[in-house]
Amino acid sequence: MGGKRKKSGSEAAAEFETDYENEKYINKENKKQKKLVEEKKGEILPSMIKNKEKRSAVHAKLKQEKKLEKRKKIKARDAAEKRALELGEEPPPKNVPRTIENTREIDETVCKPDDEELSVRVNAVDVNDLKGATNLELRRRRKKLFAGNDADEFSAILKREHTPKVLITTCRFNSSRGPAFVSELLSVIPNAQYYKRGTHDLKKIVEYAKNRDFTSVMVVHTNRREPDALVIIGLPDGPTAHFKLSKLVLRKDIKNHGNPTSHEPELVLTNFTTRLGHRVGRLIQALFPQDPNFRGRRVVTFHNQRDFIFFRHHRYIFESKESKQTDSDVKKAKNGKVEKAPQEKVVARLQECGPRFTLKLISLQHGTFDTKGGEYEWVHKIILKHRVPTTENEVRDHPL
Amino acid sequence: MPRTTTLECPGCPSLRALTFDVLGLIKVVEARGKEGGAPKVVERWGEPDSSKCVLAASINDRKRDPLFAVARKTDTIEVRSLVNGDLRFTVSNVSDAGLPPEDDAVVGLHLFAKQKLEQTSRSCTLLTCTTKGKVSMRSIEANESPAGSASISSSRTWSVCASGNIFCSKVDESENYALFGGKGVEVNMWDLENCTKIWTAKSPPKNSLSIFTPTWFTSATFLSKDDHRKIVAGTNSHQVRLYDISAQRRPVISFDFRETPIKAVAQDLNGYTVYIGNGSGDLASVDMRTGKLLGCFLGKCSGSIRSIAMHPELPVIASCGLDSYVRFWDIKTRQLLSAVYLKQHLTNIFFDSNFDDEALKPAVADTSLNSQSANETEIRDKEETLPLKRKNASKKDGRHKKKKETKENEGSGDVSIENDRCNKKALKENKGDEKPKLKKKSKRSKCEVVEDAS
Repeated sequence: MGGKRKKSGSEAAAEFETDYENEKYINKENKKQKKLVEEKKGEILPSMIKNKEKRSAVHAKLKQEKKLEKRKKIKARDAAEKRALELGEEPPPKNVPRTIENTREIDETVCKPDDEELSVRVNAVDVNDLKGATNLELRRRRKKLFAGNDADEFSAILKREHTPKVLITTCRFNSSRGPAFVSELLSVIPNAQYYKRGTHDLKKIVEYAKNRDFTSVMVVHTNRREPDALVIIGLPDGPTAHFKLSKLVLRKDIKNHGNPTSHEPELVLTNFTTRLGHRVGRLIQALFPQDPNFRGRRVVTFHNQRDFIFFRHHRYIFESKESKQTDSDVKKAKNGKVEKAPQEKVVARLQECGPRFTLKLISLQHGTFDTKGGEYEWVHKIILKHRVPTTENEVRDHPL
Repeated sequence: MPRTTTLECPGCPSLRALTFDVLGLIKVVEARGKEGGAPKVVERWGEPDSSKCVLAASINDRKRDPLFAVARKTDTIEVRSLVNGDLRFTVSNVSDAGLPPEDDAVVGLHLFAKQKLEQTSRSCTLLTCTTKGKVSMRSIEANESPAGSASISSSRTWSVCASGNIFCSKVDESENYALFGGKGVEVNMWDLENCTKIWTAKSPPKNSLSIFTPTWFTSATFLSKDDHRKIVAGTNSHQVRLYDISAQRRPVISFDFRETPIKAVAQDLNGYTVYIGNGSGDLASVDMRTGKLLGCFLGKCSGSIRSIAMHPELPVIASCGLDSYVRFWDIKTRQLLSAVYLKQHLTNIFFDSNFDDEALKPAVADTSLNSQSANETEIRDKEETLPLKRKNASKKDGRHKKKKETKENEGSGDVSIENDRCNKKALKENKGDEKPKLKKKSKRSKCEVVEDAS
């Protein structure tokens, strides 16, 4: 170690001389730093050291240093932001983390808001018309553009011409977690009825439901007493979606769960962007009534991320809290400039209730349930012939 | 399956195709330039309206004034010009029985290429077939007055089946025979001259477990251009069958393909290869002489295939369906040439065979009786593409030579009655050669266990 110290530059030596008398502790610190610099020059990696104790020591030191550096960087960034705020300048742009989700390449099937063929009534909107229209009117028209998805099977429900009515049934052998899940689904979906499956054919059930003015049929399939698939059939001639169901957590297994009220829930569908996603999203949307009861403060979320649809069910509450006066606030108050009124802060609090599960689309069938003669709009296909993917996103396709 | 990144497609040769979708739109897809041109949507005809869903379409791409006919859900049939999509006239197809159009939708439509002698060039003949089996053959005279009005000069109507639903109908190349089949209706063939049934298939016997699979044909086509006696039909129980009228009433060859119903069958020009597409988006080519699967067309196609079209000259086929992509495939390598995303569920696709010819002869447009402006734009389009086209045309000459052999076998493309007679003679000769072969085949197929194609 001594030798190494000698090697280090003359300025270091001078520094040592001045500090030598003051404190030995500081000296030691300096030594350590010098050593580190040396190591960087010689590129001694911790993995090159054979003694385990030393290696772990060096490693720990490196780690600590990295941590400090990071902290410093964050501090500098925050300071810059604060300064910019004080000076009234525009703060530096916030860094957005690169995730798999936001680096996804948008493909051609993604629905765009200005897509003509998504809507049927586009032709009513003339370009010249738009120019003359007021802003509000324009927005309304734009909304119509979005909502005017009249061509598909769900438009009657989504335009509130019919109220959705859902028939929930199970597979033939149904026990333990299956019925529990069904009862929770019944509490999630308003206007849903459970029918015992018995030994009826699903095609017969679909026929029965059609005659009884049901708008959808849901089938929970269990395997080894564990729900593992969900089939949603749109009626009378809507598509049939077949989902794999996984990671089911029932209400009683959720800590601090709430109990849902009978109000009609709000519905949150996120990330259903592509044409297929849009369709599946609308199929799910058509299960719920389109006029949520906001007093109930109940939210049902279907969140799509990388083709997995996550289901969550929450209750929320807005609480207005008096924000605590921090030390800096107190100081400002002493300066006598700041208003004395207590600041009101609105906080939304969530409480999870109802089941939690994940869906993955296996197939989307044209028409009602028909495994033998059915036509598929989309099937999950495993293609064996693979070439080396060129981009990150090519490894996986994102149909939804 | 929609992809996040495009596949490396080699691109397809210059061609022009028309697609029809559930919103009643007609889109023209064109690939221009030398090998490697990416096809694009160049034109869109019609307004999006789900009630005007296209049910069936037929094309008549003659050299002069090509036309196509479209049957819509609203029970109307439109005849349009292939060049610029101008509406020539519409015919309503309201059935006499007073059934609502949903119950008795049009399934088959054929626009006759053959002109009857007494008819003027302004008229055309249409064959329509509805789900309930009502077939009508009408010749329609377009009036001089504005497009949209037409008078029916002669019509014949007859019923093909007493019960069941028709799902497929097809008129053969000589336009003398038509075949029909469907749910509960065995494939049957009709002579269009006399409106008589000349042949009906017999359902295959019960299997070893004595289970009878109900009849349900979903698609059918004639195997070769110059022979109306061989039929390939696809069933709902994912079976592909070859019928030979002259041999027997039961299928000569039948084999299974995958697990979903066969939704589209198209014949190759060579007269023995058949392309089949099924309900889960699998496309394959099969040699019907042996019933052997030649290979599958691999690509990320995951929606039901509704229609397959074969290019009249190039070795290219196009498929379209519920995944709203039009895909162009190379026949020989079975590789995806390119895919175009068209946003809607597609029902039909056709190739425009005289796309290249058009560029060389811009005078064709004169014959159309439509608005001048449309014609002008059309001509301008042609002028722009002229140099490219010439190159292609010269290139294609080589191909023509290659194709010549097969063409000679098939007989001339002209479909006058005289030629038909000649063809028939030739056919008889051909048949003489083929018959022993066929017998062999049938024997073999009898002893063969039904092959699992997959």
